[in-house]
Amino acid sequence: MADEDVQRLLCDHRYGLAFELILQRYQKKVFHLAYSILKESANAEDVAQDIFVKLWQVLPLYDGRAAVSTWLYAISRNTALSALRAGSYRKTLPLENCNSPVTDPEAGLRCRQLREVLPLLSQIEQEVITLFYLQDCSVDDVVGMLDMPAGTVKSHLHRARRKLAEYMRS
Amino acid sequence: MNCREAQEIILASFDGDILQGERNDLDKHLSACAACSDFATSQTRLDLLLREQIIAPKLSVSFKAAVRATVAAPRSIMLPAWLPDVAYGAGAVAGLALSAVLLPFAVPTVITIGTSVAIAAYLLQTFLRTALQQSIE
Repeated sequence: MADEDVQRLLCDHRYGLAFELILQRYQKKVFHLAYSILKESANAEDVAQDIFVKLWQVLPLYDGRAAVSTWLYAISRNTALSALRAGSYRKTLPLENCNSPVTDPEAGLRCRQLREVLPLLSQIEQEVITLFYLQDCSVDDVVGMLDMPAGTVKSHLHRARRKLAEYMRS
Repeated sequence: MNCREAQEIILASFDGDILQGERNDLDKHLSACAACSDFATSQTRLDLLLREQIIAPKLSVSFKAAVRATVAAPRSIMLPAWLPDVAYGAGAVAGLALSAVLLPFAVPTVITIGTSVAIAAYLLQTFLRTALQQSIE
């Protein structure tokens, strides 16, 4: 298991080294998780930083009952959702800039449509679909990051796809 | 295969969950069902759009350094909130004991008067501290 070395370091109270390994290994995923909730990269980065600082403070409390990654993702999701609820971050779409060439007006239109319909999904559907594409279409990654059964993740994904296609048609 | 099953397989195919047998049955169904064929087309278009538009943002190069700098900063020492009360209580008890021994009055009198004064002083300082905190907040 990938986290075994981190767990061993934590058991030996070698928090500095354990923290460094976690930071190295999970910085990108924690950032993506924050981004899937906050939908803006600068704010997601600020929150990702807060998450690691919080992790550093609670590292001695790790009791080994859950995997380090599960524990970290739970801290990450709670911190990002709190930041979102606090309203200090704008609640827009994950598509900060439409990635379509100026010369392709149809692609631009589809992108704008997507920007309009994504917020119509529930919070968890937005998170799942954003994470799925951020994590190179890996359901397993999303399962780990949201600590949900694979069936639940897939059902959120399928519902989100149906809704998006429906909204974009109307 | 009915339309509901066909659409579930179409959706599952984007998660990488489709078996060869299911693919064959789906193709057969799609060739005969215009509604499911449209569904497959719109879902494929949506998948392409999502792949194109949901791009992983990049963490700034200074991210790790910023995290390390923050966690390396010395933490301010937070004293427990109950500490002043305990310190006051301990000081009062010590002062009373000393007064009972040193003052040329009867011990019960010194303890009664000393305790009354200590309690009154404690209530007064608590009131002043609370008022000060509220004015700061």
